[in-house]
Amino acid sequence: MKSTRDELLDKVRAALKRDVNSIMPGVPSTARISPRSTGDAEAERSLLFAEIEKLGGKTRRLTHSANLKDALQDLMRVEAIKKATLWQTTDLKELGIEEILTSIGVEIVSPYASNRVVAECDLGITGADYALPETGTLVLRSSIEKPRTVSLLPRVHLAIIRPNIPRADLHQVFDEVKRDGYFVFVTGPSRTADIELTLTIGVHGPQALHVWAI
Amino acid sequence: MSNIPTHIDFRSNVQHVPPHMPPAVRKATTKFLGNRADVVNQLGTDRWEMLRQAGHEIRLHAINHLDHYLTQLEEQVTRAGGQVHWARDATEARSIVLQIAREHHIKRVVKAKSMATEEIDLNHALQEAGIQALETDLGEYIVQLAGEMPSHIIVPAVHLTKEDIADLFHQKLGVDAAPEPTALTAIAHTKLREEFLSADMGVSGANFMVAETGTIVLVTNEGNGRMCSTLPPVHVAIAGIDKVVPDMASLTVLLKLLARSATGQKISTYTSFITGPRRVDGENGPQEFHLILLDNGRTRILQDESARETLLCIRCGACLNVCPVYNQVGGHAYGWVYSGPIGAILSPQLLGTSVAADLPFASSLCGACGDICPVKIPIPKILLHLRHRVVEGDAVEPATTSPIIQAGVQAGAMALGTPWLYQLGSQLLRLVEKPLQRGDWLPNLPPPANRWTMVRPFPAFNADFRTWWERRVGKPRTNKRLRNLALAVIAIEALLFVGWLLLRKRKR
Repeated sequence: MKSTRDELLDKVRAALKRDVNSIMPGVPSTARISPRSTGDAEAERSLLFAEIEKLGGKTRRLTHSANLKDALQDLMRVEAIKKATLWQTTDLKELGIEEILTSIGVEIVSPYASNRVVAECDLGITGADYALPETGTLVLRSSIEKPRTVSLLPRVHLAIIRPNIPRADLHQVFDEVKRDGYFVFVTGPSRTADIELTLTIGVHGPQALHVWAI
Repeated sequence: MSNIPTHIDFRSNVQHVPPHMPPAVRKATTKFLGNRADVVNQLGTDRWEMLRQAGHEIRLHAINHLDHYLTQLEEQVTRAGGQVHWARDATEARSIVLQIAREHHIKRVVKAKSMATEEIDLNHALQEAGIQALETDLGEYIVQLAGEMPSHIIVPAVHLTKEDIADLFHQKLGVDAAPEPTALTAIAHTKLREEFLSADMGVSGANFMVAETGTIVLVTNEGNGRMCSTLPPVHVAIAGIDKVVPDMASLTVLLKLLARSATGQKISTYTSFITGPRRVDGENGPQEFHLILLDNGRTRILQDESARETLLCIRCGACLNVCPVYNQVGGHAYGWVYSGPIGAILSPQLLGTSVAADLPFASSLCGACGDICPVKIPIPKILLHLRHRVVEGDAVEPATTSPIIQAGVQAGAMALGTPWLYQLGSQLLRLVEKPLQRGDWLPNLPPPANRWTMVRPFPAFNADFRTWWERRVGKPRTNKRLRNLALAVIAIEALLFVGWLLLRKRKR
């Protein structure tokens, strides 16, 4: 007896008047659109931050990693941070984020703790692998060092990014990440307009998004 | 009780549209259209039109080679450690989900917004099996609590006021809340956060499925899609077979079209790209990933070449926003999960035109839906075609030209295109009509042409074109353009006549 799969594919082929050996042309070249053209790197970084701000995100440029402690202290006060979790990347380790947070009295929670425990964190700190200035989008990959829940469950999401991450368009990003098992585009804080079309920030994802460039 | 309709009476539904519905709906559609116009202008109309054309071509290419891309998708999802299931119809899809749920002793399911799961009425099936199934998109959650259907594809609860929602939360959740969007959203957030954390299965749809990599793409603003596909140990995605796209490069076009057309955002807040289950334990994400590929009438749409482009749809809702009929009646009048112009062409094809016979007529054919569609679906043309199918029956073969008409047209074309045959024909015609001719008229013709002469006489064929021309203006000069023009006119007349005769015969 034919499986559902084979029956279904046979139906599709019959409807399209194709068979298993029908030639398979590539995607027509007219269906491709070239990437957007970009300004210089500095203009792209400004655009990225401007777009994130438009969506209700908060951005900050830190000229030196030494300023990180002050910035984290500000954030702790403004967002009432008591517990935090973070990516375990070498980049964040080299910046000494965990040590700074501990020194200013923030409790550190392992990102490998249960979802319920991570969800109790006020702050989740990640990096970002790429950024799309046109839309204000951060691209976050997933790995053992970059657990997916850090940017999702805590109330506040802080992404500490490097100046070289902007890419011109989706094309360049997909070229680099398309074989990943998971990646996510984050564009501003979580939002809805489901009740009387009133924009409300912070539904299921983080209520606040902070992006700092070092 | 099933939500899959057995008869949709649009005319009667329209009589029961509550008076607050049209203004609420218009508020949403006006806002979305305004936002859309802004982002399209920002991009430039030329680039937007290039994107639309590219989007059309990508989707058409995918649909025209669906067998290839579905096979490739299955291979890639399987390679990534996911499990692929195929479902002929709603019943099969539901039983696949229930089977997975039984194997894992699932008690609580959280659901991201998905048209496919509403189409198969999954929630009822889960509830009947004793499994809690909760919608987590705020609008869908409200509509589910109210026991209603979505009234707009993007903002499902647009017909309810904040006061309605505060009442609803008071009755169903036992909480008192100020009728303010922020306070109400906070209540839903707290309630649903607990559900996300305790759910043992997440169910989602897929905005796109990428054949090249085996990736499903989920687009949301609230983050509920990420929650459903990250937290529970089992993730089941259900999508129509039409949702497949060739490669990631296709998304450089389609993602740009989707958010701009839907809400007027440049991109939605979260776009997740999911290829199989998690690869290592520490990264979080589900241990198991299932993809259910749903036919449920789509292969039937594929057979009808005149309506096939219905399957290009990326579910943005722009055609609803721009439709004068939808703006007057809202989503409920369309009787099922798909509303507006896309519902008017999709529902009759998925459910059968006998179930949804009214819907192709629920349009003024103003053409705005076709003009706004980001993937250029010729919705007005398909509406007309479906009206034809409603009247003529649901035979989905390319029914527009019968073999007899086709043969007649071909014979006519050959005769007109071959000078000696044309001349011979005109001589023969004059011979044949002789016994029937009375003066300049043929009062009686043999069947099937007697349908004409029963009502009025038929003009006699007095001369072929050349003779007629000679009589009128003397010896023909070799004016080729004029001759070709005249021949073309005659050819068209002849074709119309043959077609008319045969149609008369078929009707009888």
